[in-house]
Amino acid sequence: MMTRFNQLPTLKIDPTKKVIFNYKGKTYSGVEGDTIASALYANGVRIYARSLKYHRPRGLYSLDGECSNTMMEVDGIPNVRTENTLLKQGMTVKEQNVKGSAEKDMLGFLDKLDWAMPAGFYYKMMHKPARIWPIAMKQIRKTAGLGEISPDFEMPGKFDEIFPRTDVVVIGGGPAGMTAALAAAEKGLRVIIMESRPWLGGFFDYRTAEYKDGVALYQRGQDLAQQVEANENIRVLKHTAMVGAYSNCLVTGFQTGTDKDAFNERYVEIRANSVIVATGCIERPLIFDNNERPGVMQVGCALRMARNYGILPGENGIFSVGHDLGLEAAIDLFDMGMKIGCVADVREDGQDPELVLALAKRNILLLKGWVATEAHGKKQVNKVSMSSIDGMITRDFDCDVLVASAGLTPVTGPLTMAQIKLRHDDFTGFFVADEMPENTFSAGRILGINNALSIECSGTLAGIKAAKACGACDAAEVEAAEAAMKALPGPVRGSKLVTAPVKGRKSFICFDEDTTIKSVKQTIDSGFDVPELVKRYSSAGLGPGQSGIPGHNLPLYVAKYQALAGVPVKPTTVRAPIVPTFIATYAGTNHTMHKRTPIHNLQVADKGILRKIGVWERVRYFSEDYSCKKEIENVRNNVGMLDGSTLGKFRLHGPDALKALQRIYVSDMSKLKPGRVKYSAMCNDDGCVIDDGVVVMLGENDYYITTSTGRAGQTVEWFRYHTRYDGWDFSMVNITDSMGVINLSGPNARKVFEKITDEDVSNEAFPYSGFKEMLFKDVIPAKVMRLGFVGELSYEFHVASSYMTSLWQLLKEAGAEFGIQNFGVEAQNVLRMEKCHIILGQESEQRTNLLDVGLGFLWDRKKADAKTVGAVALRQAENDPSRFKLVGFKMENNGRAPRDGALVVDSKVRGYIATARDSFSLNEAVGMALVESELAKVGTRLEIYEDECGDERIYGKVVPMPFYDPDGTRMKS
Amino acid sequence: MVDIKRVSPVSFGKSPKRTEVRDNWTIAMEYDSEGQGLSIVDLSHVTRLDVQTGDLSGVTPFGVAIPEVPGQSVLKDGILINRMNGIQASVFQLPGNGADLPTDVFVTETTENTLCVAIMGKDVFSFMEKVSNLDFMDPKMTAPFLFQGPCCHVPCQIITLSKDGDKAGLILTCSRGYGKDMIHSLLDAGVEFNMKPAGEEKFSAWVASL
Amino acid sequence: MALTITCPICGKRNGYEFRYGGEDKGPRPEEAGLTPEAWCDYVHMNKCVAGVQKEWWFHKDGCGSWFTIHRDTTTNLEVKGPEADK
Repeated sequence: MMTRFNQLPTLKIDPTKKVIFNYKGKTYSGVEGDTIASALYANGVRIYARSLKYHRPRGLYSLDGECSNTMMEVDGIPNVRTENTLLKQGMTVKEQNVKGSAEKDMLGFLDKLDWAMPAGFYYKMMHKPARIWPIAMKQIRKTAGLGEISPDFEMPGKFDEIFPRTDVVVIGGGPAGMTAALAAAEKGLRVIIMESRPWLGGFFDYRTAEYKDGVALYQRGQDLAQQVEANENIRVLKHTAMVGAYSNCLVTGFQTGTDKDAFNERYVEIRANSVIVATGCIERPLIFDNNERPGVMQVGCALRMARNYGILPGENGIFSVGHDLGLEAAIDLFDMGMKIGCVADVREDGQDPELVLALAKRNILLLKGWVATEAHGKKQVNKVSMSSIDGMITRDFDCDVLVASAGLTPVTGPLTMAQIKLRHDDFTGFFVADEMPENTFSAGRILGINNALSIECSGTLAGIKAAKACGACDAAEVEAAEAAMKALPGPVRGSKLVTAPVKGRKSFICFDEDTTIKSVKQTIDSGFDVPELVKRYSSAGLGPGQSGIPGHNLPLYVAKYQALAGVPVKPTTVRAPIVPTFIATYAGTNHTMHKRTPIHNLQVADKGILRKIGVWERVRYFSEDYSCKKEIENVRNNVGMLDGSTLGKFRLHGPDALKALQRIYVSDMSKLKPGRVKYSAMCNDDGCVIDDGVVVMLGENDYYITTSTGRAGQTVEWFRYHTRYDGWDFSMVNITDSMGVINLSGPNARKVFEKITDEDVSNEAFPYSGFKEMLFKDVIPAKVMRLGFVGELSYEFHVASSYMTSLWQLLKEAGAEFGIQNFGVEAQNVLRMEKCHIILGQESEQRTNLLDVGLGFLWDRKKADAKTVGAVALRQAENDPSRFKLVGFKMENNGRAPRDGALVVDSKVRGYIATARDSFSLNEAVGMALVESELAKVGTRLEIYEDECGDERIYGKVVPMPFYDPDGTRMKS
Repeated sequence: MVDIKRVSPVSFGKSPKRTEVRDNWTIAMEYDSEGQGLSIVDLSHVTRLDVQTGDLSGVTPFGVAIPEVPGQSVLKDGILINRMNGIQASVFQLPGNGADLPTDVFVTETTENTLCVAIMGKDVFSFMEKVSNLDFMDPKMTAPFLFQGPCCHVPCQIITLSKDGDKAGLILTCSRGYGKDMIHSLLDAGVEFNMKPAGEEKFSAWVASL
Repeated sequence: MALTITCPICGKRNGYEFRYGGEDKGPRPEEAGLTPEAWCDYVHMNKCVAGVQKEWWFHKDGCGSWFTIHRDTTTNLEVKGPEADK
């Protein structure tokens, strides 16, 4: 283990606290505050993984997880970003994408076969002759992909979500983000600041250069962080990566939990009134041969390894940079003990003179206009070739770390996601936004500025603009802040170099996908001429890091290679999640939300088998016999009870209640009489039948209506929609859940009923279609209807939900001597089908109208003034011979029932089977089908085609409906 | 012989320390170790009404005037009235108020239609942030106020009775059928805030303190 | 959901609390003398403007109101009414 600095004021680790973990089966130790990657580095690990395609060794590069170089398997979870994941006691860490080890990968030879795998080789190779592909595919699939997961893997940990609301959300906890947050909070606004690292401070945090008056930048960063954390109006979400930004100020991210938190990862969805984008910059990778060899790392990575984690990344450093930050880092690392053979700067001039002087004082060789062209060393860099940028002169330097960076690139992800068109700015070399989404402002280095005071001032300005957008300050304050900003240094000139003068066969533009400069050239030569297409064909930027590594270089390189006049440089698009996110984090708690009926538990105790039906969980069967023979026969012979609580139930009252009924229902509701149940249906404007149910008149302008289970949630909406221009005064209360429903059916139903009530429920006193309100046991209020959906003597009890348990027990007790049994939804389905009572959605689909299903008798044509929904269309459809008709059929030769949904065919499709079952009541297979009207005549033979039946057909014959008890004596007596 | 009783849609999976039978409801008055964290109280037995008519002006359920602006609530003498929209208000007759129910035709009793719980404690809005995206801490909203919107993806009525530190709390109702899944989700989200079931007494004491 | 809709009762809310009710086409026509074509047009023909349209929304997870807003169909953002209502 290397010695680590343990006294630096910039450290994020506590070197006194050891953290023990397991790597490749051996015990290692890191310290508190370490990421997995920094702990491994401290233990001498340099090769973290092998690359996707060529199995090249890969190591630490950016330290912010911008590429898949350091993705590893941690505690069984593949593709963990070890640069961003804090080390925890007892973690088990493994390499991935290796055959053998990362050090000695048996697939390492693939790197030499790059000539056989040009850009788009998936599309080009191995398909001629065609029989090769299945074999090749298997091999490719074996080697392709990052990380492995077993199909039965269960994600450990706790994942949940929060939906915070705020006035201002600041993306980025660097200096600009912090000053922005403070400025907005000072105006009394609620502010949320999200920062992807586990601490605030951004790029001030690890720099010792002077901020002002002898205060170092890191001190200023700490000072700002303290102010932010102490501010009551600011909520700080640290270790929270932004993954999505959308219109209407919606920002999403995920927060990584600490030991103290109740979650491992938490999805965060913030709705704000204003957004400040202060995401700063990352480094633009320098492209040269073997530019991703372990030991090659970016400036921020090298400096932060030393400053934040106390690890000098190497003994002998060589720098090839394009920005003052590189010079500053070289000086700081030199002062911390790194020998520096040379600092090459791609810029011929324009360096900060003080930095140049500081390098000279330390006798560090500064080569202006030079760049690294090749990293040497098989698995780890040991030498680097440098050349002048024109490629004229070359020199080699020994080293164990090569700090390389072409320049800076702004993190514009939140802007592209919000669909802002970015323009390439020739001065800064940045992609900049000329127009921002509503109430969205940017601050800090994303604007191309680099001066510390300018950065802070831009934050303050953005904070005040956000406050103005929230109505918390006036235009004068914005103007003052703008004036302050103008007085400070503006954007700085950026380095434009795209690639060192190399051929590019081993120069990687995208690490995740092993895309080289050569692959990009091949892609463009194949005719893919815009960066978005180049991205897809060469797969540069399609990896987990998205645009992190290639995002800026790819469009620049494409523009340079094409050398077309007047074609603007266009960036590619990033998409959510911008940062790789666990699916478990998106899933969150993921509770199912289903409704249960008031007697759910009692039915489950009676061996009810549940199915999710719409928003409800219902009992479909009461035994493993899914034909429900016993349940059906018991209803036909004795008495059964069904939980019908899911029916939609409504009270409709008010002066214009009848008008509303007349508008919505096809029947004439002015003919309703108290004490009677009226069955009717609703259509849509096409005359297609959407719902059926009963209407009961409770009193003057006071109605009780039921709807099907599936329509319950939309019925109020439907009534209000179709009366929205009328200004009628009617009231509707959805009381679906207020009352449970038990349907008591069978020849013994009345005997059971009589035992729980003293009222006269004889056929004379309570006839078919009757309605009564009564009290059971003096306290249980009930609405009782005499119906016959299943074709037997049948009562429907609508009872206050809280009393349903008691009613169910009462009926069960009273019915014991009459053989009462439960029946479920499937038994009901068969029973009513035998009686040819339809269920909308089964005997109908979207295009089926009221007349098609034979419910035309419900329609009253004489109420044109009511403008009944569907009436106009029904009038048009009445004489249309092309419509389907609902018919009953039975199977020929005692054949089995066809499956629901089977097709009725001859030379073409003529209709389909709605519901069909082998009927126990009738001892034959019967069903209902929707067929073309010419097939609807009784006696017509139906040819039935079932899914995957090949040439075999089964045959049925149209018969009169209903099949069971055609004159209805059973349900009416 | 069947024991006639009313069953609440809410179950916390824990037996109360003390119960009281009222109108066939078995009401939890107190639980063991109700704790100092968040409290959740089953109020599903509390009488609730829907008042709905074209003209609500002059309508005074239990003698209390309905607030004029939708979203506003009023709590007076154990009667909580929440204006839902132009034509509709929800009314809660909280424990202790024994007045007779209004018999007007425009009143519908909806006690049975929803489950009803109160959630009280200083972390109640941090808790709500996990289950709803409604902005309870909007400085423009002064308690008591009504939100009609989703909680755990289910449409709810949520009445914030206090936003005030330790006294903060609210009443939540949603379709009764969601009882099992809603309570499960709320309790799960409440773990980090040490949410514990509490009895009606704690609720009544809280209301009295407002 | 990024979309927000401003309900006149409940204020600005997440789009998934609402159901879309189509373009505003005015009240149902009188049935007397209505041709099948005219009826079909009323039900099915939409202007589908690329720009600002007046449209109906229902606050299904909230107060249960039907109301109209103006929305720019090219940006999917709600815009201020009625001067944009053409």
